Amino acid sequence: MGRKKKKQSKPWCCAQFSLTRFRYCNREFEDEKILIQHQKAKHFKCHICHKKLYTGPGLSIHCMQVHKETIDKVPNSLPNRSNVDIEIYGMEGIPSADLKEHERTKQGSRGNDSGSDDDEPAAKRPKPEGLLGNAPGVMSGMPGMMSGMMPPPGMGHGMPMGPMMQMGHMAPHFMHPGMQMMPPHMQAMMQGQGGPAKPLFPSAIPTSSPGGPSAPIVGADFKPISTGATISAPPTTNTPGGSGDGSKAATIATTGASSKIIHPSEDISLEEIKARHPRYAKSIPSKSDDGASTSSTAASEATIAVSAAQQAAVQQQKHVEAMNQHAAMMQRFPVRVTGPPISMTMGGPIMAPMRHHQMIPGPPLIGGPLMRPPPISMPPGMIGMPPGMVYGAPMFPTGPVLMQPRFR
Amino acid sequence: MFNQSSMGGFGGTATPSSANPMKDYEVVQPPEDSISSLAFSPATLPQNFLIAGSWDNNVRCWEIQQNGTSIPKSMQSCGGPVLDVAWSDDGTKVFMAGCDKQAKMWDLASNQVVQVAVHDAPIKTCHWIKAPNYSCLMTGSWDKTLKFWDTRSPNPMMSINLPERCYCADVDYPMAVVGTAGRQIIVYQLEGKPQEYKTLDSPLKYQHRCVAIFRDKKKVPTGYALGSVEGRVAIQFVNPANPKDNFTFKCHRSNGTPNGYQDIYAVNDIAFHPVHGTLATVGADGSFSFWDKDARTKLKPSELMEQPIVRCAFNNNGQIFAYAVSYDWSKGHEFYNAQKKNYIFLRPCYEELKPRTSS
Repeated sequence: MGRKKKKQSKPWCCAQFSLTRFRYCNREFEDEKILIQHQKAKHFKCHICHKKLYTGPGLSIHCMQVHKETIDKVPNSLPNRSNVDIEIYGMEGIPSADLKEHERTKQGSRGNDSGSDDDEPAAKRPKPEGLLGNAPGVMSGMPGMMSGMMPPPGMGHGMPMGPMMQMGHMAPHFMHPGMQMMPPHMQAMMQGQGGPAKPLFPSAIPTSSPGGPSAPIVGADFKPISTGATISAPPTTNTPGGSGDGSKAATIATTGASSKIIHPSEDISLEEIKARHPRYAKSIPSKSDDGASTSSTAASEATIAVSAAQQAAVQQQKHVEAMNQHAAMMQRFPVRVTGPPISMTMGGPIMAPMRHHQMIPGPPLIGGPLMRPPPISMPPGMIGMPPGMVYGAPMFPTGPVLMQPRFR
Repeated sequence: MFNQSSMGGFGGTATPSSANPMKDYEVVQPPEDSISSLAFSPATLPQNFLIAGSWDNNVRCWEIQQNGTSIPKSMQSCGGPVLDVAWSDDGTKVFMAGCDKQAKMWDLASNQVVQVAVHDAPIKTCHWIKAPNYSCLMTGSWDKTLKFWDTRSPNPMMSINLPERCYCADVDYPMAVVGTAGRQIIVYQLEGKPQEYKTLDSPLKYQHRCVAIFRDKKKVPTGYALGSVEGRVAIQFVNPANPKDNFTFKCHRSNGTPNGYQDIYAVNDIAFHPVHGTLATVGADGSFSFWDKDARTKLKPSELMEQPIVRCAFNNNGQIFAYAVSYDWSKGHEFYNAQKKNYIFLRPCYEELKPRTSS
């Protein structure tokens, strides 16, 4: 089913739905037969057994009876057109309001592929603020249209979530101030997400691109770009009704129910989550703060100097600093190889069990800092590792006791 | 040449085939903890050196030979987990940045390390910028700043505030792109001095995770590919001739199980092939895929690894594709398994990344 271009009254998929690129979708077809095929494949297909039904109500009854699932949105539909109760087949049954709107947009945005992007009612556009925040209603599948709905840059979506989202009840070490959490949405988004389909590169491409060709001029294109982006990006979530939190409205669309994003629910990067885990956090904040900050200033000042002596001093300092975390490093990386690789292998296997030990007993959730494995909490100085250890060649005569045997 | 036929037990370690489903060359003595960053040496060096930063606080360097063998050369430590690494344009220095809020410069010839940058929070990205009239290290941090450092001064040459924490960045003179939390994208132009060119709303609906600049046929940087945690990549031109040139595509998602449930994974890294201009994506699902963005087709999918693929890189002439397999915490800390080894694999990729049309 190739999507065809516009001509005023080609059969057009009003389907009420269409989140994504076709609007039940405002996509247009050369002929109604193809439209019907499209509707069956895209909007009236059961997400569970893939049976193709003929109408929205048909689909919802099928899901209810066969799978005992309730569907409250037509899959892949535009947010404002996702009503499953309207019976549409081909071009029949399209609510007159939609028809009118379609005509109107058609006129307005001739040229666009589907016109769809532009015709979102203005009122809706602003809605989307949160990143994931709006997920709730949206869900149906891939919200391709979302883009149209993004707030103007000035609105700073995403940011507003900060304060509201902090979750007081999270486990303590998860509670870093400032971190935004978005639990409810996440769920929504998880469910909502997703297009069922596989990533066919080409087909994934959204169809639409809205605005006419944008001028290559910088100034001028700012707008186009974002619009374009909008369009083309059929991403995920759409915000339909907008209940801000998604607790669940989101579940909706079939598609929504059929996918899950594998990512912690908090909307911060995996690295941030990982970095604050006690296992890694220890080397960052407190301890190295003192040591590091002094040494860092010193070090940077020293950088200016070129003389060998100064360089050496810097090195020295770095070593000290490096020692701070040394304890930690030692357990998992006993050997610092600079030259030949040999020792790395040796250290590996032996040390592995140790590390293992430490990690397992103290589930981070409970333990927090207190549970840190002993070596980590040892004061930096205790290890007695000569500076050379850190950067030097593999052979360190005075290495820590731990390492000696293995080194030779 | 770097080809696959000479496979055979190099490295000496028995790697279960499930860990290396693509039967690629395994880099010996990989990091002991998750790998955070990978980078191949620039074309200015005759050999290929690969550096990798890790959560075990170390940066390792291997020489990669034409027959696929890797030779560990050296290792340096940082004061915390390493989040990014970069080469200088002449290949004499390596920059490493991470959770200790510092970036360090490692002079390979002298094996000396000096601190060259500092932020108020961990540094997520570092890139070397080589312009005709200046050269500097660009660092992007969770302290919401982007700083530019002359490596000889303790103070930044320049500091630019970001709307949010820096999550990903790429530099290809004269263009730089930064993706931040809150789904913002900022494009900078580096000519003369770095300055903001435009701020864009994201075409993606979920958290930004990786970004890579691509060039046009004349080898001029012209746009970028942006990956999100929701298994999706957006191809964006900075000044699209036609808005339809911008598009997104899905990737790194499960096929859907019998119950119809689909798992969607983060796109962990994107890299463009230096010769063909095609791209590779790697994901938390444990696969990599090669794509032709112009033909809008997938060139090749991989089998699934046992763990996520966290980073990838091409060497300077596009013969070698390196990818790092380790746990990325996408399923939470509970799923961390210390028993699982981290791997870096090397794949001869030149042919596989040829654009569709030419084949």
